[in-house]
Amino acid sequence: MSAVDAKSTAPPVERYKAAFEARWPGTDELTALRRAALDQFLSTGFPTQRDEAWKYTNLRRLETRSFTPAEASALDAHQPGWLTTGGTRIVLVNGHWLPALSSQTAQPPGVTVLTLKQWLQREPAAVATYLKDHDQLSGNALEQLNLAFFEDGVVVNLADNVIVDAPIYIVHESTSTAAGRMSHPRVIVTAGRNSRATIVEHYLGANEAEYFTNPVVRFQIAAGGAIKHFRVQQEAPRAFHLGHIQTRLAKDARYSIHDIQLGGSLGRTGITALLEGSGAHAALFGLLAPMGTQHLDAHTRLDHIAANTTSEEDYRGIAGGRGRGVFNGKVIVRPDAQKIDARQSSRNLLLSPTAEIDSKPELEIYANDVKCSHGATTGQLDATALFYLRSRGLSESDARAALIRAFAESILSTIDLEPVHAALERQIDERFKLANEAKA
Amino acid sequence: MLSIKNLHALAGEKQVLHGLDLEVGAGEVHAIMGPNGSGKSTLAQVLAGREGYTVTEGSVTYNGKDLLALAPEERAREGVFLAFQYPVEIPGVNNVYLLKAGLNAIRKHRGESEMDAFEFLTLVREKMKLMQMDESFLNRGVNEGFSGGEKKRNEILQMAVLEPSLALLDETDSGLDIDALRVVANGVNSLRRPDRAIVMVTHYQRLLDYIEPDKVHVLSAGKIIKSGDKSLALELEKRGYDWVKQEAAA
Repeated sequence: MSAVDAKSTAPPVERYKAAFEARWPGTDELTALRRAALDQFLSTGFPTQRDEAWKYTNLRRLETRSFTPAEASALDAHQPGWLTTGGTRIVLVNGHWLPALSSQTAQPPGVTVLTLKQWLQREPAAVATYLKDHDQLSGNALEQLNLAFFEDGVVVNLADNVIVDAPIYIVHESTSTAAGRMSHPRVIVTAGRNSRATIVEHYLGANEAEYFTNPVVRFQIAAGGAIKHFRVQQEAPRAFHLGHIQTRLAKDARYSIHDIQLGGSLGRTGITALLEGSGAHAALFGLLAPMGTQHLDAHTRLDHIAANTTSEEDYRGIAGGRGRGVFNGKVIVRPDAQKIDARQSSRNLLLSPTAEIDSKPELEIYANDVKCSHGATTGQLDATALFYLRSRGLSESDARAALIRAFAESILSTIDLEPVHAALERQIDERFKLANEAKA
Repeated sequence: MLSIKNLHALAGEKQVLHGLDLEVGAGEVHAIMGPNGSGKSTLAQVLAGREGYTVTEGSVTYNGKDLLALAPEERAREGVFLAFQYPVEIPGVNNVYLLKAGLNAIRKHRGESEMDAFEFLTLVREKMKLMQMDESFLNRGVNEGFSGGEKKRNEILQMAVLEPSLALLDETDSGLDIDALRVVANGVNSLRRPDRAIVMVTHYQRLLDYIEPDKVHVLSAGKIIKSGDKSLALELEKRGYDWVKQEAAA
């Protein structure tokens, strides 16, 4: 226990109450909503390993820390780690919008991109209604915590039949140098009928301090709409990152996500896709690469509510050092949801004897005419392949890096957005060359 | 070039080589023949430096260096090449990447500069033509989904690009039909040079119809029990191995 912890006598979650009263003293409708969410969080508390969904991820270390809302902060320029995607870029620094580095390219008619604060200013009642509809029902304590404390975020609205070619790039940069700051950004995407767009979310931090990012992301995709979502988590080494994504899909809607987790000390992405209309399809791709003492967790839930819905899921984990990875993939097929096709695959690579990956598929099937498959494998680098490459002159570290890259490539190759694809290939190469050198 | 003296080696826990002696000079082509289990493949693996094979006695000197003290990649960079009996499939690692990374590692070791992309592709195209391989193979994963014959051709392609001074061919003829055998043999023959030695390990005489050896050795129970010229191979084909074993025992 550190000195900071020893001084605190109040139960850990009570500290959030003090932080809340200091930040949100008002009594307006939204603040009342925030307070109700806080109360729910306080009464539930952080999930524990007794919760099945948190069996492999222990939040005790997070729970013992004190966090206060992170302040807005300026940045001078485009940071080297940011992607160049060519479309609209919205930059949030410590959860606050930074207009100076954000840029809006001309959008086709029918597309609205706002910050959450702008939407609040324009239509406070609509925001309150929206938040009530979507979040008071959710029951997840950490999402309640986000609702209590969110400062800003991004709101994207696509009218029917609108097609946005250039990706919308959302940067979440953490710069707090003081320890114990938290941010709760929120991204809300509402896609009309037959609309199409690509959303890139990028979480980064270059600081040494311990901080906590707790984002909530919501997609609502109307009939025939299609959203491609790329999410790259590259938080700073001491960060806690708990992301909560929920997507609702109507008839023939499509959603795909690439959940790439590289950074942070403790990171988790919770993804729920609700397939509510016939013909809806969700595709979940993920790559987790915990190294050192990192703990990275992907918790997915594909809920086949309507008949004739399909899903595919392909996650890969690469763990080195004392890194720990978790994949929990739940597929639910509701009663009467017939003609379901759900495929799931989880493959893992352990680079050291002290690395660990827990892979847990869960199928809950209440209908009888369904096709569900799942497979999970965990192994090490193939010694024969390693020897083959070395026998051609490659150093052991280059041979290992080539095999690790090959393993990751099955996920990376499905990223059809070149700036993201190229940046991740570089990241993976760099990461594992560094890891190999450290090992040598 | 290569001097093997009194080599004893284990494959896993099992003693397979029991005092093998072999001298290979520059420019020579040697064939090592022998029945199954005689230690042919173990010899090839030991020379390439594969894990799981332990030398318990004896020495291997290559161009004046202690070969056994070198890591597999150091042997490759010094010019030793093993054409695998069972080439490994490595999905996700491109053939072209492997060729380039290997060639540049070897060139760097020799103090030469890396090849630029144009020079490299010109070289690779020329060698692919020799091996009658389609260029589409370049961007496929290493040996991924290749037929048996394609894999063996790919081994010789790598050898042609990397230009070793000592080439070890482990059962390169196995699993090849006659047309593929001709292409592979053609590729190997084109690499014969006064400063390069080739050691072929083979079960059948057939390969030697296409790649004519200077010397033929019979390996039995982990030792070379008879050496001769190419006529020995023909005699083995006719009479089998038993008479050599009896002669050696006598």
